[in-house]
Amino acid sequence: MLRSSEDFARPLVLNKRAFKANIAVCDGNLQPGSSLDDDILALREEYLGREFDEITFAIDGRRFSEYARACGEQDPRFTDAAHPDFQAPPTYVSTLIGGRSRPDGFPQLSGVGMDAGKGVQWMAPIRDGATLTGKSHLHDIYVKTGRSGRMIFLVARMELYDEHGTHVANADTRTVIRERPSE
Amino acid sequence: MSDLVKTIADVEFGAELPAFQPDTSLDNVKRFGKHVGWDSPRFTDHEAARKEGFPAALVPGVMSQGFLGAMIHRWAPAAEIVEIDTVFRAPVLVDQPHSVVGVVTDVDEDTGTAEIDITITNAAQETRVFGTAKVRLPTG
Repeated sequence: MLRSSEDFARPLVLNKRAFKANIAVCDGNLQPGSSLDDDILALREEYLGREFDEITFAIDGRRFSEYARACGEQDPRFTDAAHPDFQAPPTYVSTLIGGRSRPDGFPQLSGVGMDAGKGVQWMAPIRDGATLTGKSHLHDIYVKTGRSGRMIFLVARMELYDEHGTHVANADTRTVIRERPSE
Repeated sequence: MSDLVKTIADVEFGAELPAFQPDTSLDNVKRFGKHVGWDSPRFTDHEAARKEGFPAALVPGVMSQGFLGAMIHRWAPAAEIVEIDTVFRAPVLVDQPHSVVGVVTDVDEDTGTAEIDITITNAAQETRVFGTAKVRLPTG
């Protein structure tokens, strides 16, 4: 499913880390006056915003309370099932893994892939017993170029909705692929 | 600023959050693996991690991100983390002491929001994980 063009028509906002790193893209939008290699532009054109995975999660309060305790949370709203506001810590959604990480037909990029980071946008509490639907798309593709070559960043975003269709969170996974030098 | 932040009025620009030493012990990472996932040997077995070329077993990235969230809630129990972005710059090693430190980089009393830069450093003060969070607090 293609997302509406409105999703990509937001005002350009400089991401301070991206700006410092002198990369060309942030948050799915090209910076004014910036340029990208043709192959990256083609990937963006073809794959950004295209939903490629849908999966259902049964939210288990015991699992998220164990997550909270292991991470050092002390607030009982995250650790005590008897608390009236018992809910998952916001970062918990990063542990929800989709069935696939790339759209159909996405090319195999030559290089070593690594988990470069996670991002969460939280909109509403996630409760024990909830059923969430996660819908994934590629949210951004950008590059950083250094002396050792290109690093290609892929940002996969899972949008999470509860059983009433309320959008409760976004979970971003940023993967970096360090290209192997061509022979 | 008092130790416990209750409302946005308690938050000062440039204030440092109380440092937090996360539990990176092998036992805790194994417990995380058992209940949450990320239980492969690179996380739960030093020797297996070394065979993969790492200096020791690794704390899962999702757990490191959880440390950042816990630090914010310890500082301001009423805070709602509305955004958090985490960059995994280098491995957080199991059984090694680390600190989570944070600093307030923006405060908007009208909307009740603040932005915080958070860093996980090792004993050599090397940055391993860096994060930026936006939190919402009661305005009154």
